[in-house]
Amino acid sequence: MNALTPFLPTIAALVKIGLLVGGLMTAAAYLVLVERWMAAWVQDRKGPNRVGIPLTKISLFGLGQPLADGLKIIMKEDFTPRHVDKVLYTAAPLVILAASLAIFAAIPFGSVLPPLGIPGLPDPVPFLVAPGLDVGVLWVFALSSIAVYGVLLGGWASNNKYGFLGGLRSSAQLVAYEIPLGLGLLGVVLAAGSLKLDVIMNAQAQSGIWYAFAQPLGFIVFLVASFAEAARLPFDLPEAEQELVGGYHTEYSGIKLLLFLVAEFLHMVTAAFLIVIMFLGGWHLWGVTGSSQEVTWLGAFLRFGVLSAKIFAVILFFMLVRWSWPRFRFDQLMNLAWKVMLPLGIANLVTVATIEEFRPQLIERFGAGPAGVIALVAPWAVFFLGWIAAGVLTPSGTDNTPIRTHTMLDAERSLREPDLVEV
Amino acid sequence: MTPLPFAPLSSGPLLAGAVLATVASLWLLLPNGRDNASIRWLGSLLGLAALAAFIAAGRRLGGLGEEAVFLIVSLVAVISAAATIVSRSPVYAAIWFALSLAGVAGVLLVLGAQFLGVATIVVYAGAILVMFLFVLMLAQPAGLAPYDRVSNEPFLSALAGAVLLGVLSLSIGRLSAGPATCCQPPSRTAGSPSTASQSTTTPSAAAGEPAPAAGDTASVPAAGMTATAVDPLAENHVARLGGELFGRHLVAVEAAGVLLLVALIGAIAVVSRGEAALAGDTTPTRSAAGRSATR
Repeated sequence: MNALTPFLPTIAALVKIGLLVGGLMTAAAYLVLVERWMAAWVQDRKGPNRVGIPLTKISLFGLGQPLADGLKIIMKEDFTPRHVDKVLYTAAPLVILAASLAIFAAIPFGSVLPPLGIPGLPDPVPFLVAPGLDVGVLWVFALSSIAVYGVLLGGWASNNKYGFLGGLRSSAQLVAYEIPLGLGLLGVVLAAGSLKLDVIMNAQAQSGIWYAFAQPLGFIVFLVASFAEAARLPFDLPEAEQELVGGYHTEYSGIKLLLFLVAEFLHMVTAAFLIVIMFLGGWHLWGVTGSSQEVTWLGAFLRFGVLSAKIFAVILFFMLVRWSWPRFRFDQLMNLAWKVMLPLGIANLVTVATIEEFRPQLIERFGAGPAGVIALVAPWAVFFLGWIAAGVLTPSGTDNTPIRTHTMLDAERSLREPDLVEV
Repeated sequence: MTPLPFAPLSSGPLLAGAVLATVASLWLLLPNGRDNASIRWLGSLLGLAALAAFIAAGRRLGGLGEEAVFLIVSLVAVISAAATIVSRSPVYAAIWFALSLAGVAGVLLVLGAQFLGVATIVVYAGAILVMFLFVLMLAQPAGLAPYDRVSNEPFLSALAGAVLLGVLSLSIGRLSAGPATCCQPPSRTAGSPSTASQSTTTPSAAAGEPAPAAGDTASVPAAGMTATAVDPLAENHVARLGGELFGRHLVAVEAAGVLLLVALIGAIAVVSRGEAALAGDTTPTRSAAGRSATR
């Protein structure tokens, strides 16, 4: 025991990494199956339901499908086209997958374990790979901005017009939506007073008010921005199949394509984790999980279960949206980011900052209860005002009426008078 | 507590040799218009020798694991920084630069400057360099421009860089090679008795208020403040950094903010003026194009 003691934190971190990576990879494989089921349900057909236990005739509702899919894509020839930049072509999927896995170093996947009483280990053991990292939210932000490199390099190294256009679109989109994402996140950081995600969860558990209720505008901004960051359907321009074949991974096949697809799924899982942890209370559920730091074994696993269930629900929401919404046009996408989400995010941030600044004075004047009510009502008022303003002003609205160029004469006139053309 | 696992000793000859090897290696490696594989091999070997000499001239401190991690990330930073300036393709140079920034961020994380490390990635690698890549990828779809194949004044620039490197290593080595009492930077120890009391009060107003709301960490910021200079890995790293920035350095932070705002407004003004000029220019050309198309 004495010889092992200095290495115990390292061993604990390795165990957590193993559990997390194994769980995430399995979850990604099965989420593909869930997505296909969801697609089948929305389109009123039967999804994959044939593959079960290999070499038998037993089909467990198609639960063997991920295995078959994985084997198929791994066994495919790892083909590298001759016209690509070989080094960057190989590096791009590795970069994007490594970045999207490393994000989880700072993301808690539960609360804490009850004290184990092992000397050399911090008690209680947190469900977090890097508990000492004091900049958790920024770490997530930094690594999700590294993921842009995978997309950009994949598109460029493919030496293919579709791939390059997909890469450019994607990086423009990711850079644009990082700003509303950050603004939505800042409100929560300001209210919780910490950049650590576990502290943010604890703050919600202690007050019992999830930040989605305390900052509705921030929640909406963050939700939309994380859809865009994960490149899910209303924002899936980087790989719009009808326009760009496959976008930045047009030239990829086999295991490299698999890495890209897994990374994309992990982005969605990361977004779901962040939405749940920052806005939907994390492991907290009223009357079920309690809110203190002392937990029993049952409580620890209950919290883990609540967090997982919430994340699964958010992922189902992501999938449902995929089959219910049409894709944005690129100018609509940019208008939404800069003209709607950015002002709304700033409005949310200013509201939260004002409330946090004057909270002590409010409590002093009205007492704790009414002050809490004011702190809850004011953000909702701002939320509805912002909604109405966005609806009345329609800053992202575009004139979609077709240009009337029926005859050659009309065409010439419209070219001479650019007002008709400029929409 | 060892803030710096490798504190360079002023072991003169080794350091001088390392600097000379760096000059020679960079001079051989910098693009000179001729593609000669053997010269590049020689340059790389010399560069590795220089790195080994620098490591040998350094002083070993700290635990084995910390030392190994520090060595790996700093080697990544240095080697990819060298690759940035010697690579022929601008896109590759940008990628190497990104890798170098990742190495620097790793060094900062190892040394306990978490915020600085992560901010390096967010600001440089995540925002600025992506913009560079954008431009580079759009600007040169095929082939390399002549100014990428030949570097200006390779010898002088290599010499200047290596001399700066040597002087810095010498002076830092002299600072940290003395007895343990002089290890504290003089500014910190001189300023701390008067300012410590100030900085305990101001940040606790900013950072201490949310801490009870979070209710998780038992450490009170006021108690943490006294440990600031000693332990970089102490609790509430960011809260204390924020307290310091918005307490002692408030004017500097605000000045930087105003500067950035001015730059932003200036950029918008330039763009809108350029657009107006462009609109005035393009109207005739567009109608001319339309006429030629109809013809």
